[in-house]
Amino acid sequence: MGECLERPRAACSLGGALVTLANLPDVVPIIHTSGGCGGNLSAAIAFGAGYLGDGYCNGRASPTTAVSETEVVFGGTDRLTEQIRATLELMDGKLYVVATGCMTEMIGDDVGGVVGEFRDGGAPILAVSTPSFKGDSYHGYDIVLDGIFNKYLPRAERKNPKLVNLFGLVPGYDPFFRGDLAEVKRLLAGLGLTANTFFTPDQTFANITSAPGAALNIVLSRVWGVETARNFEEKHGTPFWVTDLPIGPEATDAFLKEAAERFGLDAGESIESGNREFYGYFARGADLFCDGDLKRYAVTVTNSTYALPLSRYLSAELGWVVTDSFVTDKLTDAQQEALADGAFPIQFLTGTQEIARALKNNHPDGRGQRYFDDISPLYIAGSTLEKRTAAARGANYLGVSFPLYDRIVTDRGYAGYRGGLHLFEDLIGQIMSVKS
Amino acid sequence: MNCYEQNVPPVREARLKVGDTFGGGVQELLTCCREGCLLQKNRSFWQAGSCMMNGAMMMAATVEKSAVVVHSPGGCAAQMHFLSFQTSKGMSRRGKPNVPVPWLSTNLTEADVIGGGEQKLRDTIRRADEAFRPEIIFVVNTCAPAIIGDDVEEVVRQARLEVSADVVSLHCPGFKSRVFASAYDMFYHGLLRGLALSPKAWTDYRPIDDNDPAAALKWQQYEYQKAHTVNVWNATSIGSDDEKEIERLLSALGLAVRFYAEYSSRDELRQVSEAALNVSMCDVHDDYILKFLEEKFGTPYVIAGMPVGFRHTREWLLAVARPLGLEKEANALADCEEKLAREAIAPFADIVRGKRVLMYGGAVRVGVEATVMAELGLEVLGIRTYHYDEGADEVFEDVKRVTPKSVVSISTQLFEMTHQVKTLKPDLVIAHNGTQGYMAKLGVVSVQLFDSDKAFFGYAGLYQILRRIAFEFKNTSYRDRLSRHIRLPYRQTYFEGDTFRYIKN
Repeated sequence: MGECLERPRAACSLGGALVTLANLPDVVPIIHTSGGCGGNLSAAIAFGAGYLGDGYCNGRASPTTAVSETEVVFGGTDRLTEQIRATLELMDGKLYVVATGCMTEMIGDDVGGVVGEFRDGGAPILAVSTPSFKGDSYHGYDIVLDGIFNKYLPRAERKNPKLVNLFGLVPGYDPFFRGDLAEVKRLLAGLGLTANTFFTPDQTFANITSAPGAALNIVLSRVWGVETARNFEEKHGTPFWVTDLPIGPEATDAFLKEAAERFGLDAGESIESGNREFYGYFARGADLFCDGDLKRYAVTVTNSTYALPLSRYLSAELGWVVTDSFVTDKLTDAQQEALADGAFPIQFLTGTQEIARALKNNHPDGRGQRYFDDISPLYIAGSTLEKRTAAARGANYLGVSFPLYDRIVTDRGYAGYRGGLHLFEDLIGQIMSVKS
Repeated sequence: MNCYEQNVPPVREARLKVGDTFGGGVQELLTCCREGCLLQKNRSFWQAGSCMMNGAMMMAATVEKSAVVVHSPGGCAAQMHFLSFQTSKGMSRRGKPNVPVPWLSTNLTEADVIGGGEQKLRDTIRRADEAFRPEIIFVVNTCAPAIIGDDVEEVVRQARLEVSADVVSLHCPGFKSRVFASAYDMFYHGLLRGLALSPKAWTDYRPIDDNDPAAALKWQQYEYQKAHTVNVWNATSIGSDDEKEIERLLSALGLAVRFYAEYSSRDELRQVSEAALNVSMCDVHDDYILKFLEEKFGTPYVIAGMPVGFRHTREWLLAVARPLGLEKEANALADCEEKLAREAIAPFADIVRGKRVLMYGGAVRVGVEATVMAELGLEVLGIRTYHYDEGADEVFEDVKRVTPKSVVSISTQLFEMTHQVKTLKPDLVIAHNGTQGYMAKLGVVSVQLFDSDKAFFGYAGLYQILRRIAFEFKNTSYRDRLSRHIRLPYRQTYFEGDTFRYIKN
């Protein structure tokens, strides 16, 4: 974790906390740090994640203590108290979350004490500790969810046996989090289950408060959200299931089957109708796909959540040959092991230049030799940082991961049956876009 | 000790009368700034903004063949992705190689915050040098290492002996200054301390041999060339179209123009001393380096507002022309240009006349554009500036003359902006980048105060500004419809009270 990073693909835990809070309904952040952190971190993700933009209250709207040299020397708790009081008066929220930055953690402000007093006075407020040096954005996501669900919300009196919570997709750092969550929710609804996604526009604050009553937490990442789900089980007694985000019919069939089993339901009908719909469209693409000879070698450059599901889709649904899956988020050894199931050639690298060089080392080009078996034709599905890497190799490119500056993402998602179609459209659309 | 000799430059608060909090009349602002009450003002509620570190990083990212090392935990450099895409576009618009600036973060962890990050900074500088072979490595110092007391300057001093790139340190921990504009000084301080700003013999020129029979002629040629060359100091908000317009106008006066410091290279920066005049295009942007260059090379400088609109462009041109004895030519040029442009803008001027406008952005640009709008017959309801310092006094003396009734607010604060839009009910907002989405969500017609991809300066710029405003009024359906579906995070009671109720004196 410790070394310097070339063009890191995540910000700090505060950055992750802010984008998480920004996408929760009716939640107002109070950023206890220098005046620039909130604006800089929010803008980076509002523009850098498929132009996610600002939510209900974030970016330049975020309340902040804007501590300056005075507070760094004399302590920032007075400023925090003043800011919380004014925020409660001015900003309309159902939950206020104080998130700290590095300087207020370094000077040792008693944030819990200040927030505790407001809480005792009846304000719906909690504090999370998100100093930048304690992990990156992905950790910030878990810290916020852990704070809200496992520290703030009380245990539910009754469980709702058909209710599930979805965790694991980090807003922005998973650029398709909304479309993916919506599709997983739709799939589960097909089984008769209700899902809290928390982050899609249909959600209200009631979804957050209903979460402790869920019968199951589904974590759609082998790495992120797992800690939250583990603590959730401890506090609320809700078991959790860690599974890959299902992309395309092969993965979705398996996902539905297992989800149904866990609830004693039958997925047969959902799977059948899902496949009928998928192949009803997908099969039409066969003429172009085959006559156009669109079989490709493929390289993926994504975070740990997308790496395996995307590689699996490319391999299973398109029959492409995945030569390298670069995982760009910084993982512990244990987290890395969770991904290493041998199915795809995973490499843990994050620098743009590092990845381009690794690709060159793994697959030297033919340098004009007549007989040379290189990896062409090649398709790189990665972040906007890979666009130049792809161009340099004459490869096709689709932006699917953070930072994503070359496309706008609204409700687009690649999960499920419908997402599998979208991904087909987008991948092949890039190849065909050169026609005029 | 002279501030230029210090390792760490003073922030604006220490150098100038400055403020980021005010609401009132123009005269009141001028008095408050003069008497120093501006810095005493504060708010009991703040919303997030940006910081001088981001500004310094933004400027560094424009320098050709550089690499940026941000000495910080992993998040501070988050905007570098955006900045590097943005500046690679800026490079290609100026005919330079379109290569995104490489950047690294020292990625300070808890252990570094306890044990110090100097070794990591050393390693990162070395890695930047080896991996990217840049001409310049900018080292950006941030809050965390400043608090733990990393001796960044010493690391940089040692690194200069080890790496092939020139190393420039930018000291800009965000908590040290409340005004973004401090970034300009921090960036310039880094340049003037870390790079050569005058040409090197045999590398950049062939010294004139005084025994050469043609020596006198060669000296004459050199002096003539220098006497007809001006450096114009740009800013990130000033785009290539604006540079082209300024170059067009100054070329018409027979001057050679070089733009600094953004989008220049190390080699180009060594020509800084070879000019008759240094010219600013924004009163609060460049005084720090222009005073240094006068001290060091004896080059006089001109700070004379921003060349936007007829009157300011003429004044700016005259200010450049006067010390070079070209006043008559400048007036003739302005006469001729105004005649052509006045005809061209006439149809748009009819459309915008009488509109009630709220303006928002950097102090100088917003003040200058406000007077331009007022003189075109718009009613300037309010002028909002991000910060204010005494460098903007002349612009605001002008504002006082031209539009004395405008409400002036020194504010980066979106809630105050929202209040003004809802209560002043302008027909049009002309605002800084980063607020346009919010304006659309409020349903008000708005255009950019600046946009580095478009023209704003001089005669071509005025035409484009007005053309864009007229274009925006041609169909407002997007913002009309969008605003009906937006819930604001503020309680209604705030909008029933005073805009500036959270300002403390």
